[in-house]
Amino acid sequence: MNQEELNNKLKEIENKLTGVERPLDDRIFLSCEAENAYKVNKFLFEDVPLRFVIATGIDSDDCFEIIYHYAYDETGCVVNLKAFIRDRENPSIESIAPFLLAAEWIEREMHDLLGIDFKNHPRLERLILADDWPDGVYPMRKEVKK
Amino acid sequence: MSWKMWSLKKSVWVFHVNTGACNNCDIEIVNCLTPKFDIERLGMKLVGSPRHADALLVTGGVTAQAAPRLQEVYRQTPKPCVVFAIGACACDKGIFTTGYHMVGPVDKIIREVDPNAIIAYVPGCPPKPEAIISGAVQALAAI
Repeated sequence: MNQEELNNKLKEIENKLTGVERPLDDRIFLSCEAENAYKVNKFLFEDVPLRFVIATGIDSDDCFEIIYHYAYDETGCVVNLKAFIRDRENPSIESIAPFLLAAEWIEREMHDLLGIDFKNHPRLERLILADDWPDGVYPMRKEVKK
Repeated sequence: MSWKMWSLKKSVWVFHVNTGACNNCDIEIVNCLTPKFDIERLGMKLVGSPRHADALLVTGGVTAQAAPRLQEVYRQTPKPCVVFAIGACACDKGIFTTGYHMVGPVDKIIREVDPNAIIAYVPGCPPKPEAIISGAVQALAAI
């Protein structure tokens, strides 16, 4: 499958996305709301299929962002899916770990550091914070003082 | 010089403790053991247990999780022993100064257990193997 076919394949989920950016020929930014993230991820991973690299969590003032990084190795194309979580009080998103086991630990890390609840995660326990770290304090949130 | 000090300086066996380093200092320590620098010719040797060690090579600013473990490792090391704080982070937390998980540089954590501990500092990010060897020589000459 070449780059053009990849582009056509991505058009199949366009109705679940809120934006598509292409700064470079081999770089695609997709954005979607948290409710659609599970389906879009499942499509990218199982139907295209892309290789899952890593996910990143960001606290961006009015919302939380999770960026899922995918790579398409045949053409060297990198696909980034931004999922926006608008609810700052109880941030939650569907976990992708049930079908993508490699995402299990990074989701646990985001849960530790940003306090994002991953629904249907098989084992959402503390991963990298110290054992005596207080509950409910998420060090990578902006309101936490340095 | 007491008999204990003489035997400490004769052939220093070291135990390597990583208390939250980025692995760069650790690679330089491993580099000291490679044929190019070969600190074993000086009688220095990495050992697998603090109970066999004369010196601790501590890398990394100490994280909250690692601090009690570092203290326990220090308690298990036969005295007298020398603690080497290897790298900028171990000496003074380095770039992790404002990190949420940092509880203090190595000397502060060690002095909580033993105020009279012998601590040598090898700054650098990471220190060269030459600097580590030089630090060891100077520390052993000073005690």
